[in-house]
Amino acid sequence: MSETMRGIEKLTEADYEFGFSTDLDTDIAPPGLTEETVRLISAKKDEPEWLLAWRLKAFLAWQEMDEPDWTKLQIAPIDYQSISYWAAPKQRPVLDSMDDVDPDIREMFDKLGIPLHEQKILSNVAVDAIVDSVSVVTTFKETLLEAGVIFCSFSEAVQDYPELIKEHLGSVVPVRDNFFAALNSAVFSDGSFCYIPEGVRCPMELSTYFRINSMNTGQFERTLIVAEDDSHVSYLEGCTAPQRDENQLHAAVVELVAKDRSEIKYSTVQNWYPGDENGVGGIYNFVTKRGRAHTDAKISWTQVETGSAITWKYPSVILQGDRSVGEFYSVALTSKHQQADTGTKMIHIGADTTSSIISKGISAAQGQNTYRGLVKILRSAENARNYTQCDSLLLGKECGAHTVPYIEVKNPTAQVEHEASTSTVGEDQLYYCRQRGMNEEDAMAMIVNGFCREVFDELPMEFAVEAQRLLSVSLEGSVG
Amino acid sequence: MLHVENLTASIGDTSILKGLNLDVGAGEIHAIMGPNGSGKSTLAHALAGRDGYEIGGTVTLDGVDLLEMVPEDRAAAGVFMGFQYPVEIPGVNNMYFLRTALNSVRRARGDEQIGASDFLKGAQDAMDLVEMNHDFLYRSVNAGFSGGEKKRNEILQMAVMQPKLAVLDETDSGLDIDALRVVAAGVNSLRGPDRSMIVITHYQRLLDYIKPDFVHVLVDGKIVKSGDHTLALHLEDHGYADFVNHDLDDAPLTGAPA
Amino acid sequence: MNQAALAFRSAALEQMASLTLPTKRDEAWRYAPHKALGQLTFGPATATDAVLGDIDSQIPHIDGPRIVIVNGVVDSAQSQLDTLPAGVKLVSLAGMPADLVESALDRQHDTIDDAFSIINRAYGEGGALLMVDGRPAETIHIVDIAVPDVSQNASASRVVIAMEAESSATVVETRIGHSDAFGGSNVRTEISLAADASLEHMILQDLPTTQIHLGRVDVMQEAGSTLRARLFNLGSDYGRVAYHVHLDGEGAHADLSGLYFGFGTQTLDQQITVVHSAKNCTSRQSYRGVLDDSSTGIWNGGVDVRPGADGTDSEQSNDNLLLSRKAEVNTMPRLEILADEVSCQHGATVGQLDDAALYYLRSRGIPNEEASRLLINGFADQMMDDLESDAIRSWITERLGHDDA
Repeated sequence: MSETMRGIEKLTEADYEFGFSTDLDTDIAPPGLTEETVRLISAKKDEPEWLLAWRLKAFLAWQEMDEPDWTKLQIAPIDYQSISYWAAPKQRPVLDSMDDVDPDIREMFDKLGIPLHEQKILSNVAVDAIVDSVSVVTTFKETLLEAGVIFCSFSEAVQDYPELIKEHLGSVVPVRDNFFAALNSAVFSDGSFCYIPEGVRCPMELSTYFRINSMNTGQFERTLIVAEDDSHVSYLEGCTAPQRDENQLHAAVVELVAKDRSEIKYSTVQNWYPGDENGVGGIYNFVTKRGRAHTDAKISWTQVETGSAITWKYPSVILQGDRSVGEFYSVALTSKHQQADTGTKMIHIGADTTSSIISKGISAAQGQNTYRGLVKILRSAENARNYTQCDSLLLGKECGAHTVPYIEVKNPTAQVEHEASTSTVGEDQLYYCRQRGMNEEDAMAMIVNGFCREVFDELPMEFAVEAQRLLSVSLEGSVG
Repeated sequence: MLHVENLTASIGDTSILKGLNLDVGAGEIHAIMGPNGSGKSTLAHALAGRDGYEIGGTVTLDGVDLLEMVPEDRAAAGVFMGFQYPVEIPGVNNMYFLRTALNSVRRARGDEQIGASDFLKGAQDAMDLVEMNHDFLYRSVNAGFSGGEKKRNEILQMAVMQPKLAVLDETDSGLDIDALRVVAAGVNSLRGPDRSMIVITHYQRLLDYIKPDFVHVLVDGKIVKSGDHTLALHLEDHGYADFVNHDLDDAPLTGAPA
Repeated sequence: MNQAALAFRSAALEQMASLTLPTKRDEAWRYAPHKALGQLTFGPATATDAVLGDIDSQIPHIDGPRIVIVNGVVDSAQSQLDTLPAGVKLVSLAGMPADLVESALDRQHDTIDDAFSIINRAYGEGGALLMVDGRPAETIHIVDIAVPDVSQNASASRVVIAMEAESSATVVETRIGHSDAFGGSNVRTEISLAADASLEHMILQDLPTTQIHLGRVDVMQEAGSTLRARLFNLGSDYGRVAYHVHLDGEGAHADLSGLYFGFGTQTLDQQITVVHSAKNCTSRQSYRGVLDDSSTGIWNGGVDVRPGADGTDSEQSNDNLLLSRKAEVNTMPRLEILADEVSCQHGATVGQLDDAALYYLRSRGIPNEEASRLLINGFADQMMDDLESDAIRSWITERLGHDDA
């Protein structure tokens, strides 16, 4: 084994630093999923009749559907009846003031580095903190409301803004869209809702922080962002989970509606527990994310995926309006026994629509990384443009990198360009850095970060720093 | 300062350096010249600690054994190598790279870290030295650089790192006359009583600009002749034939990897 | 029938009992016209009594040995097998000598899983066996003609090419059809290249646009061998050629290229998989498509780098021109990598004629339509740049309706 290989091996034996669990007094439903479970969830949340009906429709659809064909993923069968579909910290109801937050929860978020005390927050970020599918607190609500921006938990939105929810829920991701979207539609417990009125530029970054805490629970949150004409919002999402030997299921749905000339920028740093070095435990992360961009609107997805045992997600944009723009920037790192199957779908419907895709996959240890994407130019999409670049970096002999792009073009004025490359970190690059005095770990982290540069540049500053750090941590071993 | 005794290097069954002796005193510049495949680049890599060679003999810097050290520790001990083919590192900007390098070395030596603004000031002076546009600091390390830009970048790094021993491997290759002048001026300005240099070159041309104290001729893994700078002029006129002929049958067919 | 051949065939016939045709859910058949495929009927090869007339006007004029297969049966009268070059054996599979049967049948190719390959095994008893142990200068021509019959509208045939160590040859397979009736052909080519062998293999697919062509080429390459595979996929309502190339020996090289040019309602489908199983192999895939009218192009090109195939170097490119509002193209450059120290790249583009080039030509006085035609031909002709045979070049350019510039 070369020295580089040894170095990589050491680097990939990372420890998961968010693996603690917090002893919260939790209200948890017995495992199992029947129509009764769906009714229970809806009743717990005091939901209107139409929403219960919507959930039940989804539940019926889900029962008739099959799990997706896993293709590249090696996955143990999931027993959907052994999962608890409702878990919530007992402290209710959701409170607006920080002073009322359960100190245990506050401490948990402090430990995670997520500031929930508004007075302590230096950065201009509003946070919705979600533990085990339930929103525990939303910061800066008042400030945001002054600007007309609604940012609250999904449950609150159902009570306070039923018309907005009714209009948009399922409008981008219909209940039957796929197996996990149907499951989520039936049992989703909470999530974030965000509404930016016409002409408003959201005065701060909005952020949701997800934490799975309980055992044997799934997390099924639902996020809906509606940006009215000429509005603008930047939204961040972060996730962690305790270290457990069981696989836990996370099946979320995110819907974005970008009306005329609006812009939604959605950034994710996903760091769910990835399982240990033997592939035991870890989160199954099956997420449906999609946005609809109307005339002159822009939707931009940026994701840094370093966690989860399995990641299955394709943040997509339906480029419906003329001149709408879709972007996808992704870094996916798989180490240990992690598997990621991720990419995007860009569906060009409107004229002069543009999409760009930059995907960086990093495979280390026994990790398997697949980019799967679809660029579809419909007949109506006059002068559509797409540029796709997918690069893979292989760090080791036992990992894999796969690229599966689909390009479907039905309009002769389209211009589509796809480029992909696969490479390894060169021995000469490492030697060069070491000759300049860096140790092998630092050199590796620097080179890998350089490989991801184009994606990190898209993240808001605080997240970019966090992403770089996470990447280094995920590759890092016990130093010294 | 640098003491090299009976240095051998081989890759598999191919022996490249076959018992090389060299002493470089503080402040001295030694030129190593030799035909292709004589082991010049291998000597540089043996000093810098590249993987892949089996090394024998002794190399000490100020009495400290270099051969036991990994490359980054040699850098911390003050060894700087100017690469014949500087490596491209996409996405990592030059300034970040260089500051990380400098602080790594400082940390190893127990010195304080240098902050971004202090570093920038020093780097800008170094850039002026090699007549480099300040934009270069923000471009990816060597990526998309021309041959001349890469070599100037090496000298820039040397100016920032302030090494005790600089080993410049074919720094003149691929340079036009203007770039050569700039690079040589940079090197000359970094001469000092505490800094030794080994300048490896195939041609005498570079030595018109960087005047060495000693010239050594390396043939087939050994220094076969040493002298002052007039030896370089002799080589310019007569080539390496005088030194190679008697030994032709033993000359390795392939040289060290670049 | 020989015992081995019988066993081989009856196994396939058994599989046929539970045959299900591919559907949209099968990746390799995702965009295929499933309804039309379901209407193909196969059966044991039988000599046709249709009068074919002059086939020379339909195929390129290549001097050298020629074997003509009609509906899976070798037509000796149309073939030229009298004076074979030294080191070349070219015989009909159906009547081959017993000692050759084994080499023709017992090949370790991919497990046969898709329905049309099973059909080919079951009914494709006729075809050509070519064995080369030398470096013949003449091009060997294998012609396959589909003649839709009353009892069965599609034919199945096989071509087996065995290249001995250090041998070298050029083989052209021309595939055409007779009459305007619905039907087609199902041709499977099995190629083996021993160490350091080199083969230039070309398929000229030009069945009538009422018919369907299903081609499959399986290649096994040993160390140091070189394959140059070219495809000119021009005819058929649905014209499909699938390559499965296995680089099993160290340092093997496969270079695949092709042109598909669709008119009317044609669907032209190329499915390429190159499997790197040994160290330091190189592969290239370079395909171009031009789609006019309501035609559809499909390019599904994959590179699989298996564990241990370190030092793999692969490149793939697929460029497409859409000439009409109703034309469409689906392209999928796939990579699957499980080895180290690999360099794999791919690129795919879809676009239309370069406006600047068009403008440049028009500014020199060339009318728009003429200028467009020049640029389209230029795009397609690049796939013929290093074609040595003038006969083949002019056959292709004639087929595409433009003079060879």
